[in-house]
Amino acid sequence: MSASPLVEATDVEKHFPLTRTATEFFGGHARRVIHAVDGVTLTILPGETLGLIGESGSGKTTLGWLVARLHEPTSGTLRFAGEDILGLRGTALRRWRQNVQVVFQDPVGSLDPRLKVWQIVGEPLRAQGELSKPEVRERVHEILPTVGLPPDCLDQFPHEFSGGGRQRLSLARALSVDPKLLILDEPTSALDVAVQAQILNRLVELQRERRFAYLLITHNVAAVRYVADRVAVMYLGRVVEVGSVHGVLERPIHPYTKALLAAVPVADAKRRRTRFRIGGDVPSLVDPPPGCRFAPRCPFVIDRCRVEYPALREIPGAPGQLVSCHRAEEVIDVAPASLLVTEGGPTPAAAPAV
Amino acid sequence: MTDAVVAIEGLSIDYVVGAGRFRAVSDVSLEVPRGHVVGIVGETGCGKSTLAQAIPRLLPEPPATIGGGRILFEGIDLVQVPRWKMPQIRGTGINMIFQEPLNSLNPAFRVYDQLAEAVHIRQVREMGRASVERPEPGPFDYSRRSNPTAADAWSGKVVPGGAVPEVVHRRQVDQQSGLSRADLRKEVLDYLRLVRINDPETILDLYPHELSGGMRQRIMIAMALSEKPSLLIADEPTSALDVTIQAQVLTLMKELIEEVNTSILFISHDLGVIAETADELGVMYAGKLVEFGPVAEVFESPRHPYTKALLRAAPTRYKTDGPLLSIAGNVPNLSHPPPGCRYHPRCPIARPLCRVEPGPPLLGVEGMSPSHRSACHFPAEVPQIP
Repeated sequence: MSASPLVEATDVEKHFPLTRTATEFFGGHARRVIHAVDGVTLTILPGETLGLIGESGSGKTTLGWLVARLHEPTSGTLRFAGEDILGLRGTALRRWRQNVQVVFQDPVGSLDPRLKVWQIVGEPLRAQGELSKPEVRERVHEILPTVGLPPDCLDQFPHEFSGGGRQRLSLARALSVDPKLLILDEPTSALDVAVQAQILNRLVELQRERRFAYLLITHNVAAVRYVADRVAVMYLGRVVEVGSVHGVLERPIHPYTKALLAAVPVADAKRRRTRFRIGGDVPSLVDPPPGCRFAPRCPFVIDRCRVEYPALREIPGAPGQLVSCHRAEEVIDVAPASLLVTEGGPTPAAAPAV
Repeated sequence: MTDAVVAIEGLSIDYVVGAGRFRAVSDVSLEVPRGHVVGIVGETGCGKSTLAQAIPRLLPEPPATIGGGRILFEGIDLVQVPRWKMPQIRGTGINMIFQEPLNSLNPAFRVYDQLAEAVHIRQVREMGRASVERPEPGPFDYSRRSNPTAADAWSGKVVPGGAVPEVVHRRQVDQQSGLSRADLRKEVLDYLRLVRINDPETILDLYPHELSGGMRQRIMIAMALSEKPSLLIADEPTSALDVTIQAQVLTLMKELIEEVNTSILFISHDLGVIAETADELGVMYAGKLVEFGPVAEVFESPRHPYTKALLRAAPTRYKTDGPLLSIAGNVPNLSHPPPGCRYHPRCPIARPLCRVEPGPPLLGVEGMSPSHRSACHFPAEVPQIP
């Protein structure tokens, strides 16, 4: 663990202001803000995969974009390999960009339909502006086989590829400049199980060969389980739990993590769930209340949760796992399955009265 | 097996695109028993959504054409029913929930208007008013290729007073049947409470864009169930939702199945969702149904190599446990399907016979329950695939 972190994000916040209506403007109301990312501290080590899970609206994509400097944070600091990247401008920023590349979720929308494969995959190379056109083509020719595409498809267009093929193109484009960190934003959520398995396998092999660090942003717990070394769970702009993949997925502490894991449908027809005990929707990010953001849906909520935000802390019994819950010590032994009632399987008795 | 809500027999659906024609669904036979949930899984492009939309005849025809087979719904062959009569069957007979709730709700109408329409249709039908047979199609027959234009009306081709159907205004029906607006509103509220929406009075006056994804899907479910259909087709109803919301919606659907007593055809690519909801499971590959059986048995002991591969591909392990088992190769192009069994290019147990002989029809498998059928030449060898 002595390796110096590749990415260090400290108290990063990103707020998106909402436009005020005329009445609000003249009535002197303050501008309302969406707290998309609200004070997140994270590190990514070289060569490791950090999985970022959470539901839509939890701010995980915004955080990924912040790390890639596609958004400017409202406050906080971001360091990459020890260097403060928020001060980078112009040429220095463009040079830095070859360190971090993003694979986007939508394999159709993220590829320009009018460009040929070599132009798409070679675009980051051309943006760096060091290689001539034949050199770019040659480099693309070398890269395509590493993602499992035939090297002779240089002059094809993206529509000639299947969904999986397009996602491979997107991956090849990100790999073309040999980055240190790849941000994978839902890389497989548009794909079928079989194709998803191919892509995930390829990602893991590539990481073994070339020591990339990955920031894997997804709501797919199964993909995180397979690819990640460490996992951070986000809820409404805040990280509620961080730890090793085994720790977080096998022994989740935060009630939200438990709920999330319990909600994932299991491909096992013998354990059928009948009832899910977490009600409600993800609340609005506009001016969220103080206190724990999960409090309105949490089955273990106490009065303190509604007023005081629980800081991320390590608790005895789970070394290396940080959790933001006032009652972490009490709920640590609650099994995720007890948030469900299963059909057939051993029915957990009434809610553990913690 | 006689008490099936819908029985599909040898159904084939072709798409005619330009000069080409390809068979998206070929020779599928399937039954949805009354009160059961039948799940259909398969990869993108295997024809599962085409099948789902073909049953209520919602496929645009052309480009789609039904190439053969029958869809028996409560004894009526839907393939033979003229398109203009289908609206009488949709709604109270067959209803559908689509994948994207935002696209299937009308953004210009409040929740109340959309739900009330569905409830009203059912109320009117229950009074025996809806199934008025039109003697012959009027000038504005939406099942025709093109409706009359303004020029036709000018030249006198559309004769008013000819075969124009009697237009019954909603208010007229209300007056005749004694249904009041207040009753309608009360029933709409009941359905919103049924799908566990808190504060239904406020929700009624909102527009779809003001609701969250889970709420919208619950409104869709309320709309579908309020017509008390005998068959509900759910095409990826939870794929656009987050897992915790998905779990809520699935539990809700399961509770409602019992309350309303509906049969469901549940289309999904998520094996976990199917494992949780379905009683029977059908697996489709390249337009064919390759395996069908009780869900627990298919998961436990699949008898088609494709089913097995699909089940194994779901990521359930950590990377330290070794690579995931993916399926080599790609889904075949349906305009040129491979000869023989369609799965043979990717099949680990393919033999020369599989390359020439098309996959057999769904046959019973030895040692399995009688409803478990597989379309493989060598079902007994499937358990030996690593």
